[in-house]
Order: sequence, then C-alpha cells, then structure tokens
Amino acid sequence: MSKRSTPTSQAIVVIRKELRDWSRDRRSIITVLISSLLAPGLIFFLFNSMANRQRSVEDVTIPVVGAANAPALVDWLRQQAGVTITDGPADPEEAVRTRREDVIVVIPQNFVKNFSASKPAQIRLVADSSSQNSRPKVQRVRSLLQTYNGQIGSLRLIARGISPAVASAVTIEDVEVSSSQQRAAQILGFIPLFVMISAFTGAMAISTDSTAGERERGSFEALLVNPAPRITIAAGKWLAGTMTGMLTVLITAGLLFAMFKQLPLQDLGIRFRLGSPELIRTLSVVLPLCPLIVAIQMYVATFAKSFKEAQSYLSFLMMAQMVPGMMATMNTMSTKAWMYYVPWIGQQTLLTDVLGNKPISPVVFVIVGVINLTLAVAVLRGTAGLLHREKIIFGR
Amino acid sequence: MIRIDNLHKRFGEVRAVDGVTFDAADGQVTGLLGPNGAGKTTTLRMLYTLMLPDEGRILVDGIDAVADPQGARFALGVLPDQSGLYPRLTAREHIEYFGELQGVTGADLRSRTDHLLKMLDMTAIAERRVAGFSHGERTKTALARAIVHNPKNVLLDEPTNGLDVMSTRAVREIIRRLKEEGHTVLFSSHVMQEVSVLCDTIVVIARGKIVGSGSPDDLRRQTGHENLEDAFVSLSGLEPEGTPS
Repeated sequence: MSKRSTPTSQAIVVIRKELRDWSRDRRSIITVLISSLLAPGLIFFLFNSMANRQRSVEDVTIPVVGAANAPALVDWLRQQAGVTITDGPADPEEAVRTRREDVIVVIPQNFVKNFSASKPAQIRLVADSSSQNSRPKVQRVRSLLQTYNGQIGSLRLIARGISPAVASAVTIEDVEVSSSQQRAAQILGFIPLFVMISAFTGAMAISTDSTAGERERGSFEALLVNPAPRITIAAGKWLAGTMTGMLTVLITAGLLFAMFKQLPLQDLGIRFRLGSPELIRTLSVVLPLCPLIVAIQMYVATFAKSFKEAQSYLSFLMMAQMVPGMMATMNTMSTKAWMYYVPWIGQQTLLTDVLGNKPISPVVFVIVGVINLTLAVAVLRGTAGLLHREKIIFGR
Repeated sequence: MIRIDNLHKRFGEVRAVDGVTFDAADGQVTGLLGPNGAGKTTTLRMLYTLMLPDEGRILVDGIDAVADPQGARFALGVLPDQSGLYPRLTAREHIEYFGELQGVTGADLRSRTDHLLKMLDMTAIAERRVAGFSHGERTKTALARAIVHNPKNVLLDEPTNGLDVMSTRAVREIIRRLKEEGHTVLFSSHVMQEVSVLCDTIVVIARGKIVGSGSPDDLRRQTGHENLEDAFVSLSGLEPEGTPS
C-alpha cells in the first residue's frame, strides 16, 4: 500500500498534468500567440496610419496648373515650410476624381489681369470632398491660399494709407475639438478591452479541455475514482487555467508596452506615457480578474458534453464580458464609486484611470482583488459540486 | 475484501439494481456475469463510489464506501466503464499521473510503472503519445494506471471487451497474478467463457437481481445443466418463451 497523498500534492499533480497537456496542444499555443498579438498589432496599425496622415499634411506637395500665370504666388507658396510645388496634370478634374491627386491648384489666364487691376483674381481649388483622407491636405492648401490673400490685401490697404485692421471686422480663432489627441485617446480606450480579451482567450484551452474535454473523452470516471476530493481536482485545473490566462496577459501587456516605445507618439502631439509604473498598475488590475474568468469558464464548460459545445458557450460569454468595455469606449459614462467593485466594469474603470494617469488608492486595488478572488473560489466550489453529479460524470 | 448488501439503484421508473447482495473474497477472482443491461456497470459504479446507491451497504476492506468514499477509494483500483485517455500524454505519463494522485512517488513510482509496462508488454510504446494507440493498447494503458498503486481491491468493468487474443491474454495474466498476490479481484463480463476460465466465484446478475452465485460447479449443480453456458442462459432467463429448461 502506498502512503496517502495530501490534497495539496494532488492539486500540484493535476496542475502539472494540465499544463503539460496544454503545452503539447498546438492549437492552444497558437491561440495564446494570436490573442496576445491582436491588441498591440491593431493599435500599432491605427496609430501609424494616424501619424502618416499627420505627416502628409505637414509635408504637402501641391500640383499647380498654370503656374506661369501667377509667378509671385507660386514663389510665395514655395517658401512656405514643407511645401513642394509640381506641375499639375493636363486634366486636373479627372486626376482628382480618379484619386491620383488629392488636391490641385488651377490658376486661370485672366489671373494676372484681375490681380494687377486689384480685382478679385480667381484661383480654382480642385478637390474631392467625399475623400476622407485628402480632407486635411485640402484644408492646408486652402488656408495657405487664404493667408496669401490676407497678406496681399493688407499690403494693398497699407499702400492706400488704410490700416489693415479696418478690413478685419471679425477674427476667427479655430478651437478644434476633435483633435488627433482625442482620437488617440479613443484608440487607447480599447487597451483595457483587448487585455481582458487576451486573458479570456488565453485561459480558454485548459478551461474547456479539462472539463468538457474530459467528458467528451470519457476520462472523468477514471480520474474521479482516484482518492482526491472533487474540489482538489477542480482547483488543480483552475490554477493551471489561471496560469495560462495570466501568461497571455503578461505577453500581451509586454508587447503593448514594447510597441508604445516604437510609436511616433510625439508626431501626433500626444503626451502619453506608458512606462513601467503604468505597466505594473495595468497588470495589477487585470491579473486578479484571471482566476474569476477561469472559474466561470470552467463552470460553464462543465455543462458541455464536448469541446466544441463548450467553445460555443464560451464565445457567448466572451461577448458578454466585452459589454462593459464597449459601453465605456462608446459613451463616456460618469464614473461612480460602485463601478470599481463590480468585476469587468471595475477593471474597465480602473484601467481607464490608470491610462489617464489618475491617482488611484492602493486600497481600491486590494479590495478589487479580494472581491475577484472570493467570487472565483465561490464559482470553483460550484464546479466541484457539478463533479458530484452522476449526469456529468457519466453523461457523454 | 468487498461486501455488498442489498444494493438498490433506480433511474426514474427503471430498477437498474434491485437488491444485489454478494461478497468478493481476498485472493479470489469474482466474476459478475450478466447480459447487457443487467446492472453490472451500475453495481460497479456504486461500488467504486462514483454513484450513490438509493439503498444498501457497501464495505471495502471494512470501510463503508457510502459514508467514507474517500477512504474506500484508497483501497480500490478501478478500470471503469469509460476509460478515456489523454491523447497528448504518453502511456508512461498516464500511469504516473494516476500513481501520483494515489500518493506513489519517486523511485517507487518509477519501478512500479516499469514493472507494469513490462508485465503488459508495453515497454516499446511506453514513451509514445496514446493518440495513435490501438484499442488493446489503450485498454492496457487504462489497466496499468488503475493498478499502479497496488490496490488491495481491483474492479474491472468488462476489461476484455473488444480486445484481440494477445491483449486478452495479457489482461487474463494480470488478473491471475493479482489473485496470486492475494488481491480481491472483481470483474464484470457478459462472456461466459471468460468468467469460467478465470473465476473462483461467479455471480450471475439479470434485470438488476442476483439470480445465482457460487463456483462454476455450484452453478452447474444449481441449474442441473452440465454445460456452464446453458446454466447461465437458464439463470439469466434469456431463453425464449416455451423452451424447456
């Protein structure tokens, strides 16, 4: 007879087995990689395209048709920072319509005549207002031309002995509300959501394989005949799943922060910093949620007779967990105190605070962690209870 | 030593096990013989503590399996009805996993595992993942992990079901050895021949009730049939209506 094993050593045996089994499953490893690459990849793409658009406005190439008609204007344009002048195509309208050019300046032949006579000299700005991408560039060219207009007008007034201020009845100061910083903040708002999704998908393999998978293979019966309490077996599986969930979160967070080091945030005028303190705070918000995520996944998956059935249940669950994050990114709800203490909503709220550099009391972190862990253990007990049901042990 | 006393289990209206009583003694092989659906698996499931009887008592080495299932499990080695394996683990890892859950560790576990692998003629496939195993290889793996902790009482639910000749022989050999070593072996089968070859005591079960028990000779005497198969058919009431017994 062997010496009796203790529940602790049995739980460790189960953890080791589940992790070994998991590490040999190519599908689960690929899931971890994809889910941890998703967030950094998408955010990198969004920011980069924003930065590119910004740069395209600063360094602008203006095709001009009929440059010879207004050499002074063209020379002035050339002297402006970041402006390059090229010869415009023969058919400017067609070129813009086919999106070969974003904007073309056409100077008609009668420009000189009108200009010399101090009459309004016409300039045509060919643009396609339905093109979202060219809009900032068109705006830039238009404002350059307006600046030129203002300068020449002022000079003419001074030449006639009139103060240019007389001509400006009203001055307009632009206050841009939808700045690129704000759009950047919107993108950053997705980070909590993505990190929580990665926690979910990373743990899914073990949560389903060790419950519905055991049922599907018919291996529960043999496993539960062993002299290990159900709670011990469930706890071993739960801890193994939690480890894989946390691992995925760590990889995701690591990639996110590595990526933020590479991003041209300065070009966007964003004063956003993600350093090690923010990293640690982000992790201390999301990691305590992992045990609860896994416990709920396991509880739900235990009802499923097969791996596939479990996966479809869990994909509904994943959508449910995305709801608070979605609501937070779509309309900024005013933060109320209770929101910190409800799982998922709390993580979303806390992460928004962390990324927005708002100070958070460490006490809140501790309370949130304790709440999550308590709920996780309660759900785990529920799962252990399910393992007593004859329908679940034997029902295939 | 296993004692089962007046065991009942009902599923809805069906009395799956209806007052089963028998003993399985140390150093003996006891066969639970019955047609499909007779209540063999349900009886064994209650015995190996995964199913709760509606009524009745089960003693495993004097431990009440209903009141102290955990204690009873330490004294049991079970090859259950469903013996699913983990496709990504090797045969050796299966045996060691269950050994460790039972508290067998270190050098003890290694030597026990090697011994079983050798006895079941599995040394060549020990380090292979079970995903590609044949039915026989799977059953042998499940059997090895069931008895890795050298349990006093061994329960086998239809261990030779669907096995080829060589695997059947290996399983029979294990059963004989366990008997020689003084274990209590209880296995179920619906194959008369198998039971008659291996068993010291046969318990015939039909429609949830024990319809006969004793040594093969006892059964022949009870039924008046020289042929053991005729005795089985007669006891289990399988013969068609109107046929004289």
